[in-house]
Amino acid sequence: MMKINKIIRINSWLIILCAFIISCSDEFTFLAPHSQRNVDNFYQTKVDFETALNGVYDALQSGGAYGNQSDVATGGTGGYWMMTEMRSDNTDQGGDVTGLAAAVAELNEFAETPLSEYTLGAWVGSYQGVARANTLITRITSADLDNAFKNQVIGEALFVRSLFYYNLAMLFGNIPMPLEEILETNPKQTQLSESQILTQLVTDLTDAAAKMSGTQSKAGQATKWSALTLLGRVQLHLGNKTEAASALNQVITSGNFSLLNNYSDLWGPSNENGNESIFEIQFVAGGLGEGSGFTNSFSPSADLQTGEGGGRNRPTTDMVDAYESGDLRFKVSMDTMYVLNGDTSYQRHIKKYESNPFANFDADNNFIVFRYADVLLMAAEALGEGAQAYTYINQIRTRAGLSNISSSSPGSFGDNLLQERRVELAFENHRWYDLLRFGTAVSTMNAHFAGQGFSITVTDNGLIFPIPQREIDLGLTQNPGY
Amino acid sequence: MKKIRFITIIINLLFAVLCAQGTVEGKITDESGLPISGANVYLKNSDIGSISDSDGNYKLNSLPQGELFLVVDFIGYEKSENIVIISSDEIRTINVILTTSVLSGQEVVVVGYGTLQRREVTGSISRISDLALREARTLGFEEALQGNVSGVDVQEYSGEPGAAPNIRIRGAGSISAGNEPLYVVDGFPISKNLGLQGSLFRRRAAFKPPSSNPLAVISPDDIESIEILKDASAAAIYGSRGANGVVIITTKRAGKTGVPVIKFSSYSGSQTVSNKASMMNAEEIIAYTKDARNNNYLQTYDPTNSASANYNASYNPNDNTGRPSGGNYRIPEKYINWDGTDTDWLDLIFTDAPVSNNTFSISNGTENFGYAISGGYFDQSGLIKNSSFKRYNASTRINGKFKERLGYGLNLNTVFTKNSRVPANAPYFGRPPGIVYSAMVHSPVIKPYNSDGTINQLDGQSYLGNGTTSASNPLAIIEGIKEELNNHRSYGNIYADINIIPGLTFKSSAGLDLNNYMGSFYRSNSLLYRTSKSGDPYAQSSSGSSFNWLWENTVNYKTTFSNVHNLSMLAGYTAQKEIVEISSLVARIFPDDQVSTISGGTVTEGDGTKEEWSLASILGRLNYNYDYKYLLTLAVRSDRSSRFGKNNQTGIFPSFSAAWRIHEESFMKSLDMVSELKIRASYGVTGNFQIPNYGSIGLLGQGLYPSGDNTDPAIYPQTFSNADLGWETTIQTNFGSDFALFEDRIYGSFDTYNSDTEDLLLFVGVPASTGFTTALKNIGKVNNKGLEFNLTSRNLSGELSWSTDFNYSTNKNEVIELGGNNEPIYSRGSAGVRHVTRVGDAVGSYYGYVVDGVYQNQSEIDSAPTDILAKAPRPGDFRFKDINGDGIINTDDRTVTGSYNPDYIWGITNRLKYKNFDFSIFFQGVEGREILNLTARHMKNGEANFNSYDVLNNRWVSESDPGDGQTPRADRSTGTHGNNNRPSSYQVEDGSYLRLKNLTIGYTLPSSIPEKYAESIRVFFTARNLATWTDYIGFNPEVSLQSQNMLTQGEDYGAYPLSVSLVFGLNVTF
Repeated sequence: MMKINKIIRINSWLIILCAFIISCSDEFTFLAPHSQRNVDNFYQTKVDFETALNGVYDALQSGGAYGNQSDVATGGTGGYWMMTEMRSDNTDQGGDVTGLAAAVAELNEFAETPLSEYTLGAWVGSYQGVARANTLITRITSADLDNAFKNQVIGEALFVRSLFYYNLAMLFGNIPMPLEEILETNPKQTQLSESQILTQLVTDLTDAAAKMSGTQSKAGQATKWSALTLLGRVQLHLGNKTEAASALNQVITSGNFSLLNNYSDLWGPSNENGNESIFEIQFVAGGLGEGSGFTNSFSPSADLQTGEGGGRNRPTTDMVDAYESGDLRFKVSMDTMYVLNGDTSYQRHIKKYESNPFANFDADNNFIVFRYADVLLMAAEALGEGAQAYTYINQIRTRAGLSNISSSSPGSFGDNLLQERRVELAFENHRWYDLLRFGTAVSTMNAHFAGQGFSITVTDNGLIFPIPQREIDLGLTQNPGY
Repeated sequence: MKKIRFITIIINLLFAVLCAQGTVEGKITDESGLPISGANVYLKNSDIGSISDSDGNYKLNSLPQGELFLVVDFIGYEKSENIVIISSDEIRTINVILTTSVLSGQEVVVVGYGTLQRREVTGSISRISDLALREARTLGFEEALQGNVSGVDVQEYSGEPGAAPNIRIRGAGSISAGNEPLYVVDGFPISKNLGLQGSLFRRRAAFKPPSSNPLAVISPDDIESIEILKDASAAAIYGSRGANGVVIITTKRAGKTGVPVIKFSSYSGSQTVSNKASMMNAEEIIAYTKDARNNNYLQTYDPTNSASANYNASYNPNDNTGRPSGGNYRIPEKYINWDGTDTDWLDLIFTDAPVSNNTFSISNGTENFGYAISGGYFDQSGLIKNSSFKRYNASTRINGKFKERLGYGLNLNTVFTKNSRVPANAPYFGRPPGIVYSAMVHSPVIKPYNSDGTINQLDGQSYLGNGTTSASNPLAIIEGIKEELNNHRSYGNIYADINIIPGLTFKSSAGLDLNNYMGSFYRSNSLLYRTSKSGDPYAQSSSGSSFNWLWENTVNYKTTFSNVHNLSMLAGYTAQKEIVEISSLVARIFPDDQVSTISGGTVTEGDGTKEEWSLASILGRLNYNYDYKYLLTLAVRSDRSSRFGKNNQTGIFPSFSAAWRIHEESFMKSLDMVSELKIRASYGVTGNFQIPNYGSIGLLGQGLYPSGDNTDPAIYPQTFSNADLGWETTIQTNFGSDFALFEDRIYGSFDTYNSDTEDLLLFVGVPASTGFTTALKNIGKVNNKGLEFNLTSRNLSGELSWSTDFNYSTNKNEVIELGGNNEPIYSRGSAGVRHVTRVGDAVGSYYGYVVDGVYQNQSEIDSAPTDILAKAPRPGDFRFKDINGDGIINTDDRTVTGSYNPDYIWGITNRLKYKNFDFSIFFQGVEGREILNLTARHMKNGEANFNSYDVLNNRWVSESDPGDGQTPRADRSTGTHGNNNRPSSYQVEDGSYLRLKNLTIGYTLPSSIPEKYAESIRVFFTARNLATWTDYIGFNPEVSLQSQNMLTQGEDYGAYPLSVSLVFGLNVTF
């Protein structure tokens, strides 16, 4: 009898035990992340949206966009400088092109395939920025926050998104253009032409300029003027010169910007976010992962600064010849040799981003996307040949220590303007888009390659890059010629 | 039988108070009365034992009093168990006649949450004999499985001391959730969480050192048996974790000996490098480099043609007279004026490395209480200086009984491992650079040391100018990198079981696994990266800890009715949770190398994360058989896991299996030839939960964005949300048979299976315009099917005995569906996209162009399809295949060029015994595995940018001197000519091999010699990996750099080679 009691006691204890555990088990397996924020509880407060907006800007730093191709050995991804400066006649990868450098040289030689890792890097990096902006815009639109705050945030996000789309349209041509957060893993994608994209950008940038403040609350923040500058550029590409002039004129007459006295004052960590700067990607060294790598990438020797010297993005002889004698910008922008321990070595290299980094690929140098000199030259382009245009151009030439030009100077207005843009804005990722806009990309590049002894012929197909193969595999249509 | 047992217990109790010792002696014969020598005679669950002499006589001294189980075991005979009751100082004579049957079917097999007799098993379970474990003499038990068990592919992809081998049971069903089996040690699932070791910043994932093996904490000497649950019916009791098979490890515990048994085992020896790659010597690399420069110069500038604009009247193939300045046309100065230096860099980096192991155990047990304590020290140096692995372990196992009904026990293991590592699994340009690869590419003309004896880093390192590529001096890497990973792990459980009514037992077990890693890394100022002239010091300190608890409650009921219906039932509830915390700190700016911890520099980065997962399960199993003739097993488990989406957290995993022991039927009795025949069939569903802890939740990434000199926090989306994320399900059917023939002289088993893994947890490629490149979804299907075959043959018995074990298994892995439109998954490995996962091929197949021979003359080139990737091919360049036959060779002509999955694997062991000598020889092989040899990109490419494999001595030179027909010409700028170095079948090499894995010779001292000092003494010699036969030109035909990533498996991009080890050892039982 006692035995049976005992059994019953044990059994009932077991039943209670099991019931207890099972009743708790729902909670037991609902575990939220500890160390990462998640979408379920973010995007609520002003602070959330401010940090998310920083996240949008952060995409600009990526190696696929305005950042730099970092150390290839650790998985660098390419960047706009590869896709624009190296694509153009400004720079190349030098003669020693095997191994990993060969994939870089492909971009220079119009030899990349849809499998190029660098074009993939630019594609993915740019769309990541687009998507961050889209998520932010979608989420804040339905958030219960004051309108002034919402407008400023939406305006900045629209500007950054437009900047990505501008680059994407220029580089890849026919591309999808989502404008909202995507929750589907296989969304329907429609490819829009370059001009359709640019037309949408006119709408977005006009909207952004209207929503944004004209003054920065912190360095690096996009303003109404950033949006108008990009709007001016986009209008120029669309051939809408009047509209371009109007947008750019607002920037010029705002009084917020001026040319610095010395061209050399534009560069280096101590000269960041100056009066000439309209939009500048921010980098800070110090092991935070926020430094830039241009100085290491572009340096011809590992011994000139901390870390390695990648020898990338080398100015061509063409580029050297483009400078008039006495141009103060030459020695500031580049050099053809360097001296180490008393030994002189000859290798052309960019100097605009030189500094001594905190660590390898971790330097302070910002990257200027738009500055006032560009606005003046674009305004000249929008206005067309005339007194006002020459005034703008000559402001820049004067600073460079060069004599004025006028309608009586040799060469056409367009050629002279393009030449001025080339040397003034050298290595700032403008040259390739200028060649495209001025319609001289094919002829310029063919002349350039012929001059360098390369048997490379560029056709219209080479004016846009192949869409990365992975996107083709996921349903997009490839650009012609690839 | 039962009665006897009852009586013996009574007698045992009567004598329990006495403390005396007895002796058992006797003679062992076969059925015909012939003596059997060399038979193992021992007390069950103890270490008391001896071996019969040439007359078949044996003697066991100093036996405890009471009921003893005397076991006599000899290959080819049925194990004999005899109950002996020893009273005070008694000498008993027990003669044993062994029958030639080894297959009584009553051996105990450990299955999940219980045990079965072998004859009751209906699923596919392999058991690894402790013999094979003992012979292996390795750091970990995993290697003992290699080639010894059918259906188990052990991949020893790195020879770095402490590296974790991969284990794949019946192929890999999963693409991105893990493919590692579940490991269960004494009932406690031990996690093989490789992520806990933390990660080093700034090191590309592909070039990380192999993970230190978390399972190295299990000392092979402590293992009693390993069971491998291969089919779904066996593994289904582990439900959501069973899809990759289950490895059940049972450790040794106390026997009822009454007196302490002390055992000591020790071995030590030396290791040398296995299968060293063959590189060029100085004269060969000079000739090859000149050839490559000359061919490039001749093709690009046409300097020997007087009509050419670049005519060079003084062209000389041996110097640079008149050549243009471009490095790729010029011969390095050190090759033109060679000073006779001919350094063998591989000889410099490898040293003979000692290995030793010492274990000690003591155990004792009585009727109501037993203990076993063991400890060990394992010390292995690596082939490369500064790499080593040390293990210190101690275990305690206690079991006891209280008032008959209540049993209790404790298992506790504490292990400390110390792993010193060197960067060897990386290419020469990795950060840090790979030592082996750097040594391979280094030109023999460079002196390793400066005249003052310091390491030569400044004389250009390997960089000879003129378009050669640089690498760091491997000796400087060895000295300049310090990396240590220490692991302290304590795991174990306490349990109690109570017998409620006869046959019904309730058991509750609580287990704990505490695992702590502490890692440190220092890259010193002294190491110069390739051509750098100053160091880049960097230190990291990281720690990872996990706290894993498990509570299991099970009820077992076992009964027999009407004498023929045998029934056992199991029901249980378990809950488990793991909390993992990882943190790391990074420091830079070290003024010197005197302090190598982060305190010597300035802390610049830090990181800390905490994650957890939990699992709650209900399980049940029913085993029924009719007179051990018709057998049936049903099992089901329901798991709830935190890792899955809120809508889909519960999975149910049923299984069913049946067996028929045909030889028990009366109609079979007349068939003498067949002594056992059992057929089995099973069907079951298992799952896989090896995915990220928060894979279903849309996570946000965190970074910074600067403003001027400040930085502000930045948050952005990082992963897609998927509240429906669920299990990956594997459905497996298995048909098998166990058989024995000719009075058990030949026995074995045969299995065939078909396994479909569905709803794969796949990081599916998504359009980049979504902001993500991948999303984790349940999509797609992978099939594995295969055959397994085990055979043991007892060829000779008697004074000279000889037995042979053979096993063979084949598995075919095939992707069936990938979801959506079945778009292939192209995977970027260490050097671009060279892998594809597509329907109809194996997961992670190699992908590229196919080399279709070498062009012999210009007319062959002219008539070949236009190759848009080869701008200017010449004779001697590769002809690539026009796969789609459209007359043009472009990216559409890439196809599958091989895979890491072998066609079949096999192993054969021969064991011989003669008098006191024992001998075993074990061959193991893999057929049809291909390796993606990425080192060929640099060292077999014809460019001669640095030292190369000596296969290039057989390169194409001219139509009349075409070399071996598979090697292209030398050409420094092949990229702009024939483009021979594109991803192609040229870099895919045959990784098949045959290996003399283990050779052991042992000698047991005649019992008269050790008597005074010890019970038994055996000395042995073992050679591991003594010889490898393979066509693979690299070191290790099993290499796989990114071993955990199925999508990019099989890469060789520099790896730590395997070693040949020769050891001498000693086993003593006191």
